[in-house]
Amino acid sequence: MSILYDEGQQAIATESRRVLEARVNKDELLPLLETTGKYHDGFWTTAKEQGWTALALPEAYGGLDLGLVELGLIAHQAGRSLSGAPFLTGSFGAAKAIELYGSDEQKAKYLPGLASGETIGAIAFASGSSALPVLPSVTVTDHQLNGTKTGVAGGLSADIAVVYANGPGMPVLVVADLANVTRNAIDSFDNSRLYADLVFDATPAETLVVGGAARDAALHILALQAVITAHEQTGGAEAMMEIARDYAVTRRAFGQVIGAFQSIKHRIAELYGFVELARANCIHAASREGQPDFITAAAAARISATEAYDTASRDCVQIHGGMGVTWELGLHLHTRRARSLAIEQGNLLFWEDILVDRLTGEAA
Amino acid sequence: MSDLTAYRAKAAAWLESMVPTYGKDARKGLSVEEDLAVARKYQRAKFDAGYAGINWPTEYGGQGLGHLEKVTFDTEEMKHGFPAFYFGISLGMPIPVLMQFGGDKEFVKERVLKALKGEEIWCQLFSEPSGGSDLAGLRTKAEVDGNGWKINGQKIWTSWAQYCDYGVIVVRTDPNVPKHKGLTYFWVDMKAPGVTVVPIKLVGGDSHVNEVFFDDVKITDDHRMSPVGGGFAVAIATLMIERYVATDSAGFGPHLDLFVDLAKDTELNGKPAIADGRIRQQIARNYAMRNGLQSITARAMAMMQAGMVPGPEGSLNKLVAVRSRQKLSELAIDLQGSDGFHYDDHASQKENWTSSWINAPTGRIAGGSDETLLNTIAEKILGLPQDHRPDKGVPFNQIPA
Repeated sequence: MSILYDEGQQAIATESRRVLEARVNKDELLPLLETTGKYHDGFWTTAKEQGWTALALPEAYGGLDLGLVELGLIAHQAGRSLSGAPFLTGSFGAAKAIELYGSDEQKAKYLPGLASGETIGAIAFASGSSALPVLPSVTVTDHQLNGTKTGVAGGLSADIAVVYANGPGMPVLVVADLANVTRNAIDSFDNSRLYADLVFDATPAETLVVGGAARDAALHILALQAVITAHEQTGGAEAMMEIARDYAVTRRAFGQVIGAFQSIKHRIAELYGFVELARANCIHAASREGQPDFITAAAAARISATEAYDTASRDCVQIHGGMGVTWELGLHLHTRRARSLAIEQGNLLFWEDILVDRLTGEAA
Repeated sequence: MSDLTAYRAKAAAWLESMVPTYGKDARKGLSVEEDLAVARKYQRAKFDAGYAGINWPTEYGGQGLGHLEKVTFDTEEMKHGFPAFYFGISLGMPIPVLMQFGGDKEFVKERVLKALKGEEIWCQLFSEPSGGSDLAGLRTKAEVDGNGWKINGQKIWTSWAQYCDYGVIVVRTDPNVPKHKGLTYFWVDMKAPGVTVVPIKLVGGDSHVNEVFFDDVKITDDHRMSPVGGGFAVAIATLMIERYVATDSAGFGPHLDLFVDLAKDTELNGKPAIADGRIRQQIARNYAMRNGLQSITARAMAMMQAGMVPGPEGSLNKLVAVRSRQKLSELAIDLQGSDGFHYDDHASQKENWTSSWINAPTGRIAGGSDETLLNTIAEKILGLPQDHRPDKGVPFNQIPA
């Protein structure tokens, strides 16, 4: 896969940016922070209309047969504009798990709905501080799930979830219908992510993959999602860098624009470095899908994108002075998103370990 | 196989065959003078094999190929520790500028050919004690002297000047106009009367840079390579020539694998250090950073191959890589604890963490300091304003010293 975007890919980037900038704005996003269970309808409607939900899924099931590069470009723009719902990544992860590890019957049952966006998917792998626990606390016996998965992104609205469970005695990846699951809303710092603790009580579950292969499968799905999230983080970091630059060339103090002070301009130049390293890692990772070094590339993308977004949102706010911490200006939408995305699909600590295990030959 | 892939394979095979004669092991223990003599032979071998002046016009003895082939060759060459560095400046900047701005074509051709063969070396006389980053603030002056010029003043940090035959120099020819406008560009014979070269010993123990003093050095006007007062533009052109160069995501320090090996072999709290979270984090962060830089380089190469102009992000390499190498080298020394005191000033900074550490500051200063690079990114890429410059528009001789 080339690391240069072709014309079609560039058109995806341009068009998604145009649409999102026209349809998502901070005045609609800010109120979502103060309530649980609500997301930006316009964002999700747009994603469905534009075919973003179908983008990276197989044509046979209503998909468009494109891949990480294209979905990554959309995610980058969504990151710039602040995506109004977590479903693009969640549904993509659930769909890939079913596509790669499910039976034909399961694919026929779930993929068309996920491709059209009618079905919303989520991933429930983590247990607290562990993104991929050795043995998850949620158990599955006789095709029934029991136990609680905490902090599931999109959990308040998802129709199905791919769950990493204890099977018992070995890991299992299952698909669960969430219709009758108890969802305890988490009042979080970034509420449009729809975080919920999902309480499974004899919830029917269909097996996708069992045993050691289930852990490998779960890691692969996390890595696919991580590449998409890394693009979203890079988009957010890029936006914060540009907002900081725009402010620095207009705001005046001590008789000149503040961007003329090296403490400010160097800070923004450093952000450029973070953003470009993250972008380069994202492009590289997206081009490595299916290659033996994919997990390594995904980990590198995730690490540099998390560093970039956290740093850019931190420094952008700092450069704005008092205005930066006002509710109204909305920079905190990015500050919050930088942290929520940093945790979803495994935090820095998780990906650092995954990466080093591979570099030292400790991982298979 | 693409043409470039074939070119790379052929170059790699040729370079491999040169290792026994010119590789770092073959040159171990040589004095600088002995090493330079070997280096000249290596440069001649490159010339004979068609790997000198790869992207230069054939009429000057080059190969007439593109940037891509050159960067490809350089990237392969870097893997082996060949003594190409003596000619890095010479062939990187002064000679290309001579081809572009030199007057007498026959003279230029002869110089270029001798430089390509490693017979002559050129240096670049830009920096001065009163200004490195502030190039246009230089004080060395050339005054009209009969039909020619007379140079007085001092240059500094001139790489390999003690072994150079010629140099290109920027001097002040008019102190009565603003600083950028009073400069003129010449070439000089480094063996001319009045030129004195004094090596400077650097912290790593080597003395590849020099002070160069000019005392009534007389040159004819045919040494002039710019209009009188037009030297700054040629100086900037000199610095722009090497826009696309082979980069090293290790910041010219050791490969990350060497750090991983060290961490595996070193015990920390009764366990291999590789199991320690602090060490693992640094490995992971450095890997992500280096992988990002490599991806930027790969993309730039792909763009050039597609006939496109690479983005400005290539300028990040030196800034990001060298300072990271500096910190990682500190950690590598830390990791060795009381075994970390050994120092060998002949050790390679690509293989030895202590050598890498002690030489790292040079990398963050030479060829554009970190601060200058940040200014360039801020101003040229992001459109941020220039710093406040009190000397702007002021005649040079009225700028408070």
